[in-house]
Amino acid sequence: MFIRIFTYSLKNLSRKYWLVGWNFIFPLVLATAFFLGFGNLIKEDPDTFQTLEVGYVNELDESAGFDQVLEELSEENDEGTTVLNLHTYSSKDDAVKAMNNGDIKGFYLESEDGVETIIISNGYDSTIMNEIVREYDNYTDVITQIAKDHPEKVSDAIDAITSENSFISEYNFGNENSQYIQYFYALLAMTSLFSSWISTAILDGMCANMSEMGKRVECAPTSKFMSITASLLAGVLLQIVSNIIVVIYIQYILGINLGVPMGTMILLCTIGSALGISTGTLMGSVIRNQRLLVTVPLFFTMICSFFSGLMWGQIKQIIQYNCPIINKINPAALLTNAMYVRSTYGATAEFHQDVLIMCGMIVGCIIVASIFLRRRKYVSL
Amino acid sequence: MSNTVVSIDNLVKRYGENVAVDHFSLNIEEGEILGLLGPNGSGKTTTINCLLSLLTFDKGDIKIWGKEMSPDAYDIKSQIGVVMQNVAVIETLNVYENVDFFCGLYIKDKATRKQYVEEALEFTGLTEFKKQKPKKLSGGLLRRLNIACGIAHKPKLVIFDEPTVAVDPQSRNAILEGIKKMNKAGATIIYTSHYMEEVEELCSRVVIMDHGKNIANGTTNELKSSLISREKIRIGLPDKSPEILAGLKEINHVYKVKEDGDDVVIKCDGGEHNLVHVLSYLTDNNVPFGRVTTELPTLNDVFLEITGKELRD
Repeated sequence: MFIRIFTYSLKNLSRKYWLVGWNFIFPLVLATAFFLGFGNLIKEDPDTFQTLEVGYVNELDESAGFDQVLEELSEENDEGTTVLNLHTYSSKDDAVKAMNNGDIKGFYLESEDGVETIIISNGYDSTIMNEIVREYDNYTDVITQIAKDHPEKVSDAIDAITSENSFISEYNFGNENSQYIQYFYALLAMTSLFSSWISTAILDGMCANMSEMGKRVECAPTSKFMSITASLLAGVLLQIVSNIIVVIYIQYILGINLGVPMGTMILLCTIGSALGISTGTLMGSVIRNQRLLVTVPLFFTMICSFFSGLMWGQIKQIIQYNCPIINKINPAALLTNAMYVRSTYGATAEFHQDVLIMCGMIVGCIIVASIFLRRRKYVSL
Repeated sequence: MSNTVVSIDNLVKRYGENVAVDHFSLNIEEGEILGLLGPNGSGKTTTINCLLSLLTFDKGDIKIWGKEMSPDAYDIKSQIGVVMQNVAVIETLNVYENVDFFCGLYIKDKATRKQYVEEALEFTGLTEFKKQKPKKLSGGLLRRLNIACGIAHKPKLVIFDEPTVAVDPQSRNAILEGIKKMNKAGATIIYTSHYMEEVEELCSRVVIMDHGKNIANGTTNELKSSLISREKIRIGLPDKSPEILAGLKEINHVYKVKEDGDDVVIKCDGGEHNLVHVLSYLTDNNVPFGRVTTELPTLNDVFLEITGKELRD
């Protein structure tokens, strides 16, 4: 029975023109509009990380290990980013010449005195280059110290450093996103919240106090809880598909790197879809007016999206400065922030906090909606 | 052994200060087609919603097949079919899918369901339209689909809430014939309608509701015979002088004489050969007259006399 209701709900929802239009086509159109508006800005934004062209000159007969670090950073990491594009030179003069020609941003000179960073100018690129050397020196010192005090533990220390504290995992070099990317995050949040329409439409057809169809369903010898759950899950699935299509379109067709690993993005899309469906369920459980069932979710989605920066990117920062609690209760802001944090800083405590708050909201909305929807008899119809 | 299908005892339903159903009682026996009549706001739909356990009520008992009706009484619900007043189908699904979806809420076995759906489509004459979406159907076909969705699971008790509103005569006849067939096959029917002629044609018993009360209950003949007015004679009468009208009123069993345009309507409270007596009076007094018709009382007259208003008011 559950699967039949789920299947028919999928059929029913996927054939609704308004749903296909607003939840599938509109986000793609908006993403295209954003791309036409910000596409070049994103690509040329100084904050957008681009692989560093770096030179390396080794004046020693054998490298102390720094060359291996550079090789590691020259490979594509899990998030699809290559930190360095390494150019090896046989002499310092060749490297200086290449730097002056603009072929490289700077170069490392490894000699008896250690590793020296030579750059043409200060800036974000030089900071990254210096940071790499600083971390390398730190680890070298640690291992040297261990070798002196506890030589038997040197191999363990090297293993620990190379496996757990690699440069790449320690620093998210590759995820410095443009501020314009946030418009795409806000767009994904809006798409997720559009699913609140799906749940109000579902409840409209399931509750006797909302429609004749609801009466017919409630007259049947079928659990109301099961019918609603099966239909809502169909709604969540459709919304996840919609979100993933939008992500794929932005990332692979428009070529905008969202900076969030695909697995995490699917997780966030799932949470976002469930969030939209659950908030819609809550609305549908308390609203009986047919027109309000359409306008309230639309208004809710647009207000939340506006405050998450869909129309004006700065609004989120202004809220964060003046009334940060709003950003913590606005589902669109939470979703946008989770994507931003994950792409910029990695899976930090703030990212986990955002995810937890969203999960809490989903559970909360479902519990409150269940209280209203548990009625099987009505005072009036 | 009692064959009572529905037993409503002393049902009271209030909306705030308004009493929608006022100590209403009713028994429906197996195999009956019960016509539930009443003007708008008389409490018919509220009673049906209480019967289906969709509405709470303030007082009374509702039993179906001797068991207390409740939202979780799935064994009872599985035997009830409901055809709503307004069309309640899913716009995005085609005819077959609609019937299959609603039938599936009752019938789990796939093969049985398939057979039932096919039979329901054939029964309602929708087989050739099964691939069409509801939007493409005419008003009559849509009503038939509404019925198919309500009866596909072969219920033993079917509630029809004004199923023929806005239906063309052909579809209407098909619907009424279908209901008779269902009844012959053993289903008990509750039928509400604004169309008296339908109720007269279809129902074995009629209950008239007004202000939430059961104000009349019986077969159509029983209700008609309870009327004061047994016969109505209409005569085209050019001369409507008070003397002639007074003379007509003097005839035995005539209790009312009323002008109605070019005609005079004479109401009789029983007796035999009333028309002969009236025509004899007119001939004997050399009163010219035109067309003459007589009408036996209809259910509408019963309704009018009991409630004081037309059913469609």
